Amino acid sequence: MTKEELKQLKPDKVVDARGTACPGPLLAVKQAIADVPEGGIMEILSSDEGTKRDVPRWARKKGYEYLGDFEESGYFTIYLKK
Amino acid sequence: MAKKMTLALFSGSVDKLTAAGVILGGAAAEDMDVEIFVLLQAAFAFKKENAMTNDRVAEITDKKDEFLASLKRLEAPHWTEAFRKAKEMTNVKIHICGFAGKVWGGEKLDDFIDLADDIVGIGEYVDAAENSDINLFI
Repeated sequence: MTKEELKQLKPDKVVDARGTACPGPLLAVKQAIADVPEGGIMEILSSDEGTKRDVPRWARKKGYEYLGDFEESGYFTIYLKK
Repeated sequence: MAKKMTLALFSGSVDKLTAAGVILGGAAAEDMDVEIFVLLQAAFAFKKENAMTNDRVAEITDKKDEFLASLKRLEAPHWTEAFRKAKEMTNVKIHICGFAGKVWGGEKLDDFIDLADDIVGIGEYVDAAENSDINLFI
């Protein structure tokens, strides 16, 4: 998905992990996924470079769909679908 | 079935314990079963009176202050907190090696922080390691 398309998404859950270091963001995502309904969208905000690769890899392992990510204003915004 | 990690935790230094905490976080994210065997110098760090005050580092020791300040700046959890969080999120068992405990004056489980589940012998480590998908020595 393009950056513009990602920005149009309406997330069911937002995980703001900015300012936390690995593995903080990934663990926050894992804990929060239970709050996302089936087919729902999670938006993850992270200033940690590793999270950009960790989340898609983790999502694939768990059977969730990684929708895309973009970098803006000094942090990454990542989307996945449950 | 969950994948299994065995960690032979030898080091009692904060830098290596922090690294172990990060690895445990990764294991927790993957819902792995983890068994940690607290050996020798790590048993020192697990003693109740040492766990929160021990700030020894094993490597790049001339930069210790910078390292500790960086952990604070990055709001990295203390290693005990990282271990505790992993225990909350996945199946983590922490065994104190009986010999290691005795080296540092720890005779019973209550001599160690509440993260420890029991005191065991080396046979249990070998058994766990034999049946693991991932084996680490820190």
